[in-house]
Amino acid sequence: MSAPSDAAPAVSAPAPTTTAAASSGGFTFKLHPLVIVNVSDHHTRVKAQAACSGDSSSSSSAAGAGAGAGQPPRVFGCVIGVQRGRTVEIFNSFELVLDPVSGTLDRAFLEKKQELYKKVFPDFYVLGWYSTGSDVHDTDMQIHKALMDVNESPVYLLLNPTINLSQKDLPVTIYESELHVIDGSPQLIFVRSNYTIETVEAERISVDHVAHLKPSDGGSAATQLAAHLTGIHSAIKMLNSRVRVIHQYLVAMQKGDIPVDNSLLRQVSSLVRRLPAMESQKFQDDFLMEYNDTLLMTYLAMFTNCSSTMNELVEKINTSYERPTTRRGGRGAFM
Amino acid sequence: MESLEALVAHIQGLSGSPEEVAHLHSLLKQADGEPLRAHAAALVPFLAHLSPETHSLGYLYLLEACATSGSNLSDFGGGDFLVTIAGFLTACSADQIRLAPDKFLNVCRVLKDQVMQLIMPIRGIAPLRAAVRKIQSSPEQLTPVHADYLLLCLLAKQYKAGLSVLEDDIFEVEQPKDLFLYCYYGGMIYIGLKKFPKALELLHNAVTAPMSMLNAIAVEAYKKYVLVSLIVNGQVPSFPKYTSVSAQRSMKNHAQIYVELSTSYSNGRYTDLETFVQANSAVFQSDNNLGLVKQVLSSMYKRNIQRLTQTYLTLSLEDIARSVQLETPRDAEMHVLRMIEDGEIHATINQKDGMVSFHEDPEQYKSVEMLEHIDSSIQRLTALSKKLASIDENMSCDPAYLMKTGRDRGRFDGRFDYDDYDSVPHKYF
Repeated sequence: MSAPSDAAPAVSAPAPTTTAAASSGGFTFKLHPLVIVNVSDHHTRVKAQAACSGDSSSSSSAAGAGAGAGQPPRVFGCVIGVQRGRTVEIFNSFELVLDPVSGTLDRAFLEKKQELYKKVFPDFYVLGWYSTGSDVHDTDMQIHKALMDVNESPVYLLLNPTINLSQKDLPVTIYESELHVIDGSPQLIFVRSNYTIETVEAERISVDHVAHLKPSDGGSAATQLAAHLTGIHSAIKMLNSRVRVIHQYLVAMQKGDIPVDNSLLRQVSSLVRRLPAMESQKFQDDFLMEYNDTLLMTYLAMFTNCSSTMNELVEKINTSYERPTTRRGGRGAFM
Repeated sequence: MESLEALVAHIQGLSGSPEEVAHLHSLLKQADGEPLRAHAAALVPFLAHLSPETHSLGYLYLLEACATSGSNLSDFGGGDFLVTIAGFLTACSADQIRLAPDKFLNVCRVLKDQVMQLIMPIRGIAPLRAAVRKIQSSPEQLTPVHADYLLLCLLAKQYKAGLSVLEDDIFEVEQPKDLFLYCYYGGMIYIGLKKFPKALELLHNAVTAPMSMLNAIAVEAYKKYVLVSLIVNGQVPSFPKYTSVSAQRSMKNHAQIYVELSTSYSNGRYTDLETFVQANSAVFQSDNNLGLVKQVLSSMYKRNIQRLTQTYLTLSLEDIARSVQLETPRDAEMHVLRMIEDGEIHATINQKDGMVSFHEDPEQYKSVEMLEHIDSSIQRLTALSKKLASIDENMSCDPAYLMKTGRDRGRFDGRFDYDDYDSVPHKYF
């Protein structure tokens, strides 16, 4: 394989390093969510530190990779896991330091970490490496080739840290390297591979927890309830507004402002008939009882809240005015 | 000092827009004082030229000068002058008189004194009620006129008239004496209307209001408070922690008899209570509480019957009569019937075999009325809680409070609690 000292100009030549084609290697990739959490955590930490210190942190190669000053620094690391036959399962990952001068990963550190992980997880091998960014960079192939002496066919995991609200999938792509003949010469390029997410029960719980954590208030139970109720509230609001629209339409039609449209009327009528409508006394009783129960609970909660405020207020008044003072005619507020 | 005619002309001319009224106000302030009062007798015919609605401010000044001039009001044609004042109070414009609130209060007080002198308190009720509404800047403010008005209602035995004023919740008080009088008279009005729970609330406020030294109104209120709480709850609660220290220490000493009454009540035997009341009836009479004490006596029966509901499911009328120390089963039946009507117990009387069976509260919470009731309670509570939160915040910024807490914290040098710092508002540092 080519040495990592492949001249920079050769790599920075605008030869495409990826194709859109899926890999034909036949490998099945399984990704554990822990890896995604690790990578995103690494990225967030570095970004936060960079913002704090005002200059790029040590592990970034932002200048070297040609990223602009406004871009968050790229982070690098290693992914480890198990390869059984054609299935590659990526379990874990750890961070690595990229030497900004030579553009290579710190080998000594990598080996030390590998040894440590071997002690705990004897089955795990270094399967590849990861990085962050919106797309594959030209320098990535260098790093990829460097890792080839650890693993013949390393994988490259790319996490896109830009938050795209319209995107439904995970912003994680896995690339393999393949030897393709381009312009007459064999070149190593990245090809995308499909992957699936694999979770162990413990991972599922923690991912669930992380997913529901909101940055502002702690207490996942309270925020979950609030989120649930907000969802219901917005759904009901939308229903209400839609019903109002239909109602206004019908009223206008009745008044004669709008020409009568029979097909629409038929649709409205069928919709109305589909609504479940229970008129029995038992339903009323049960419904009202439940309604009253909920109201009573709200009342009780408010009561407790109010009483505790009152209690604090009384404590404050007692501490301030415990001994009789001469200015008694001042304004106070009493019920 | 301008002549009276000039002044009156000014009043008539300058009562249009708010700026003119402000100008008039300054003019009047200059003209105010002894010289005006000296001419008091001459002022009365001028009053006829002015109209109370449009020239309220000027009218007020002149009226107040007449009223407080110290000369006997019969000089002004006695009863007619009263009518003039009453007419003014009903007809005046609220904005104008708020510019001179103390004068207005003086006029109201004069009216009240007059009316009491003439022993016709009922004449003062309507004007003072109007006056209360006019001088209040918001329905939650307490004014001295409240206390006078309630006093007149009490003297005239027109309890219902006092209700309209008592229904508002009070949140702002300027003079503590007003609060005490208001609570005391209000409590008495509710007692007169037999609305004992509300009376209990007001008297409770009177007893637990902050006071640096015990005052007589609070002591009287405490006596009534003991009696009313015996009627409503069957026991007298201990002082809550927001009672002032001086009240906690010395209140009971001044109302010793009542404390003994409450201990004897808690024993539950009617005859003992009766003898105690007979023995001390003179004391009760002197406090004008004898009627209330008699009601306490009759509530004893109710208390005992209620205690029976907790032990028995069914009971015969003779047994009830015996355990409650009534003479005949017919009395017992009447008592039970009355209590069922008042909603104090839930029971059915079987007249064939003379058995009474006690039930649970039949409220199922299934009705729409209950829903609306709870809903309105929640709304009230939300509003109240907002008010409380704002008062709490104000209290946290109060210098007296900060001084006390700051001093305490100084002792723990090095060992401070990070939690403490959260409650101290940052604007003081």
